[in-house]
Amino acid sequence: MKKGRKIFIITEAVLAVMVFLVAFAMLWERRGRNLDKISVIVENSDDTQWSAFKYGLRMAAEDNGVEMFFVSTGEELTVEEQQQMIQTEIDNGADAVIVQPIPGAEEMLLKMERKIPVMLVGYAPDGTGASEFPAVGPDNYAMGAALAEELLKDYEESLEGRTLGLLLESTDSQAILDREQGFRDVAEKAGASVVWSMESSALGESAEVIAAQPKVDCVAALDDASLTAAGAYSSSNVLQEARVYGIGHSTEAAYYLDTGAVNCLIVPDEFNVGYQSLTESAKNLRELWYRMRGTTVSYKAIRREELFTKENQEILFTMSQ
Amino acid sequence: MVKDKYLKYLERLKPSGIQSTIMASFSVISISLMLILGIVLYIRFSTMSREELVQSTGMLMEQTGENLEDYLVSMRQISDAAYYNVIKENDLSARDQEIQAKMNLLYEANRDNLQSIAIYNDCGSLMAAEPVASQKEDPDVTNQDWYKQAVEEMENMHFSTPHIQNLFDDGTQRYYWVISLSRVVELTDNGVSQLGVLLVDMDYSAISRMMNQINTSNNGQYYYLCDSSGEIIYHPRQIQINDGIISEDSKTAAQYKDGIYDVIFKGEQRKVIVNTISYTGWKLVGVIPYDTLSAGTINIRYFIVLSILLMAMMLVIINRVVAVRISRPILKLNDSVKEYEAGEKPEIYIGGSSEIRHLGLSIQSSYEQIDTLMKEIVLEQNERRKSEFDALQSQINPHFLYNALESITWMVEGERNDEAVFMISQLAKLFRISLSKGRTVISIRDELQHAQSYMNIQMIRYKSTFSVAFDVDPSVYSYCIVKLVLQPLLENAINYGVEGMDDNGEIRVTGNVENGTVVLSVSDNGFGMSEEQVRLVLTDSSRIRKHGSGVGLVNVNNRIQILFGKEYGLKIKSEPDEGTTVSIRIPAIPYTEENRKILERGHIRGREGSQDAGTQEKQG
Repeated sequence: MKKGRKIFIITEAVLAVMVFLVAFAMLWERRGRNLDKISVIVENSDDTQWSAFKYGLRMAAEDNGVEMFFVSTGEELTVEEQQQMIQTEIDNGADAVIVQPIPGAEEMLLKMERKIPVMLVGYAPDGTGASEFPAVGPDNYAMGAALAEELLKDYEESLEGRTLGLLLESTDSQAILDREQGFRDVAEKAGASVVWSMESSALGESAEVIAAQPKVDCVAALDDASLTAAGAYSSSNVLQEARVYGIGHSTEAAYYLDTGAVNCLIVPDEFNVGYQSLTESAKNLRELWYRMRGTTVSYKAIRREELFTKENQEILFTMSQ
Repeated sequence: MVKDKYLKYLERLKPSGIQSTIMASFSVISISLMLILGIVLYIRFSTMSREELVQSTGMLMEQTGENLEDYLVSMRQISDAAYYNVIKENDLSARDQEIQAKMNLLYEANRDNLQSIAIYNDCGSLMAAEPVASQKEDPDVTNQDWYKQAVEEMENMHFSTPHIQNLFDDGTQRYYWVISLSRVVELTDNGVSQLGVLLVDMDYSAISRMMNQINTSNNGQYYYLCDSSGEIIYHPRQIQINDGIISEDSKTAAQYKDGIYDVIFKGEQRKVIVNTISYTGWKLVGVIPYDTLSAGTINIRYFIVLSILLMAMMLVIINRVVAVRISRPILKLNDSVKEYEAGEKPEIYIGGSSEIRHLGLSIQSSYEQIDTLMKEIVLEQNERRKSEFDALQSQINPHFLYNALESITWMVEGERNDEAVFMISQLAKLFRISLSKGRTVISIRDELQHAQSYMNIQMIRYKSTFSVAFDVDPSVYSYCIVKLVLQPLLENAINYGVEGMDDNGEIRVTGNVENGTVVLSVSDNGFGMSEEQVRLVLTDSSRIRKHGSGVGLVNVNNRIQILFGKEYGLKIKSEPDEGTTVSIRIPAIPYTEENRKILERGHIRGREGSQDAGTQEKQG
């Protein structure tokens, strides 16, 4: 009799626990899990150069079922500003951040990394490549070298005696320095000499500074902002018929290629920078023991006549989103 | 061997208590029923919900298909209006202002959906365009797909796949994603009629907007649009497909006719719903992965599991109540029987349903019967002991012995030696049979011998004032009898019958077998008894005897009945002044050692056994 009662009570208790669990699961299912929130902080966020990147982020957010927030930023950020932004995002409930690192931000990012998973885009802050952060971006050195290769193709594989001008957005940025290194290594090896090198950010709207530079055969613009500036100078004939080559990923850059102001365009796959970085971050949030990994995305050299091939139209499509 | 093992295991599992048995069987039945019910309900609900999802998807697609068709029809109408109302009626060079104005009107009326309207001649030169924009340096129009398609099939209108418009430079440094509707037209330029191509570039965003509207669910279900060759026009994950991150079997879907298909693509089972957009041959494809279908039923699953669990909880309670209710009276009965057996409580539980009440009553009455029987047995045993003691006492009756010895003394003194010898020898026989080595059962022969010896002694004592006759059928000699039953009868016959009669007293001993019953009778022709006296002789054991051994007929009767059963015993027939006949009735059991032992053990079954033995003997 006593044994029967014991079994009865145990059975009822087990069933009650199961009812409780199922009811809990049911409510949980009905209410739905809160979406993970990932914030993205890049410089000059409204610039068209981020179109493909943003599109990639948006697509990845849809595919991974996370909420993506693209933080609106000014043209240039300081380390303090970036830190404050990350902190604000954390306060607003961000579960992870994707950051375009600015020069000198390593220490701050390391500090932040203790609070929140950090994924870098564009390049790793540490030039040695031994960064503690996972980063998604193109191989900057290879892109610079590829740009020089394109130059070589146009000059029948020899740049002997050719003069070059370099336009870069900022010499602080390791990514751009890598591109410059890659470009210089190949171009100078082929016999070209870099006559001048300028920071496009320092130029502002003034074309006179460029016009005052010695005449060169080619101008290589190593980032999107420089390339659009170079395209504009070329269109307005400031560059004195120098051929323009550059790395860019905005519709403006494509437009200058289309109009012939730019000879060749190297386009990094910015869509995938956005897509991969967000996918990795989302995976990291979803899976307990997942360790984020950096990825190197591809790039593509486009000539004017190839701009409207099916494949390149898709690149333009991502840029025009 | 294995089977035995399992059987043994099952036997071990078998619940021992009635309550647990009832509870277990109820639970198994009810849980099985609930499971079956739950599964059936789940299948039914999930099928319904799937059908509903597929149906609603189909309806949504139909609606979107109609919207797309409307949109495309309106584009065709623009093309028609541009052709028939603007181009065909006017000379392009002569009336360019008018043409431009009309085209502008058309464009402005549809600018939300239109990117541009343009007319090219057969060399690919731009004849007119709206909105007015500078043409690119060398757009190479004749090599563009829309131009080639129009020229290849002149009679039709052609919808291209989405592409970047590569015709104008509006100075915004932007690129427009368009779908081109192109057709060959007849145009008049400077009075010369020639062929040309009319291009209406539709804004792709109009279509993507429509598709985005239906692609809002985040449960894995999506819709895409492809042309008749499977080229994707719209896909929510277009770039991922181009980049090879995911893939889509649009080529297969393009082959399908309108309907619902079950497809396995890259290991994923999914439902594909196809809807063809008329005229263009485009296919609107809805994809519902099976995961989505089952995700819709997950709540039903939870609900059913929850219901089953709650029902199980209730059923366990109900089962227990029922089991307890059914088994409680049985358990109580069982407990009271156990207590009874342990000698704790003499009462048997009577309660519960009528069957159990009946069971309780039966057990109680049988226990009561057992009790009564036990008491009877004890009583019987006591009586038997008493009777045997009495009989033992009668074996050596000091008074009788004294009388006999006195007679012998007297004979010796009178020198009647022969008589004295006879007397002594009779006395010796009497005692030999009286003792009989302590046996209770002897043969009728010995009993008669004993009676004879006794009578011989008494005859001498009473100086033959009465006569004795033995008329016994020799066939009864070899049957069994309790010893010393005739002697008290003879004693009574002498003391109460013939004593005091003058010389004509007569005692007669007869014996025969009647239907398996031995009847030994002692008759006298004495004073007899009244009916009242006859009744008392066999019932009143407390009567004080005036004469004799003190062993009454009650004792004789008891001894016979203890040994042979109630149906045997003494029978007395008496008439006052006529005489008395006392008959001993016993079963005819042949005297053997075995039967004697059985009878002496003295219980009823032994008696039955001896009867059987007797019957067998007779048969033998």
